[in-house]
Amino acid sequence: MVVVYVLDVAEFHEIVASAQRKPQYRVRRSDKGYYRIESDTDIVFNRKEMKMKPAVWYGLFTGGLNGEIAEFGRDEVRVIGTNKPL
Amino acid sequence: MERNTLHDKAASDTAFAKDRAYRTQDVDLSTLKPAKLDGVQLRLHGVDHTARPTWKLRDTVTFYRDILGLPLVHTISARGWGQPGHPDFLHFFFDAGKGATIAFFYYIGTDRPEKFIPEDHYFYSATHTAWGVESEAELHQWKETLEKRGITVSPYTRHEILESIYFRDPNGYPLEITLRLRDIHRLDAKDAELTLEAAMQMEDELRAKEDRLHDIDTVWRRKAKLVEDYIGAH
Repeated sequence: MVVVYVLDVAEFHEIVASAQRKPQYRVRRSDKGYYRIESDTDIVFNRKEMKMKPAVWYGLFTGGLNGEIAEFGRDEVRVIGTNKPL
Repeated sequence: MERNTLHDKAASDTAFAKDRAYRTQDVDLSTLKPAKLDGVQLRLHGVDHTARPTWKLRDTVTFYRDILGLPLVHTISARGWGQPGHPDFLHFFFDAGKGATIAFFYYIGTDRPEKFIPEDHYFYSATHTAWGVESEAELHQWKETLEKRGITVSPYTRHEILESIYFRDPNGYPLEITLRLRDIHRLDAKDAELTLEAAMQMEDELRAKEDRLHDIDTVWRRKAKLVEDYIGAH
């Protein structure tokens, strides 16, 4: 399982919107200001799909990440499940 | 009168004035008292000035006053500053808006030490001055105008809450013009606290194992745990 937390602020809303377009991801908003995006398998984001500037892109997981970044390219990132401790 | 008393006190027998070896960097922080213990909420009201040394007097005045167009609003010229061996100097201030100034020290008869030679490295650029503008139109006007005046300006860089352009002064000092893209909310402060708490926890834990932080991923994983704890069961 992979989980990404996203702070509920304007510059990160595209992450949530992108996840909501993919039925394999489960997205929930906590009333404490974080979205929780969960997947049983990999989570993939595409920078151009989210119309995100590079300076924000490279801080994509600042809300918290339960998973391991397998690839972090300029335009695509893939997170896989991990046994590494949180 | 009160102002003079304050000044006399500051210039008199404090450890700070007398003992140049007095440095907070050498103090065990656990011996200092946290703000919450004395209940005094100290307040600041923005930046008064920042100051850096220069060894290029005319170039600095030309750049800030004549090319950027920041008014020169104050100059101190002094024969040393009380301490033995302190060179005579000029200390001058350019208006940066809302009462803030950018200031320079020109130490007469001194040569620039090697460690003050600007480097093309992010460690060096981390010390910079960022001036605020109030609209996107103003930010664009700065970029276009500076470029027309012959200054090399970076592309626009959009950070999370800031959009910025960067350039350098004749001393090599990095300058930034930035537009705040949105207000900062209470959420941002909570998130800031959780991110740094995650980083400090991981750093402490790794140091205890004679290791160190190697990547931000490690911080993001601990952050996930702290956010999970904060938002409760899912």
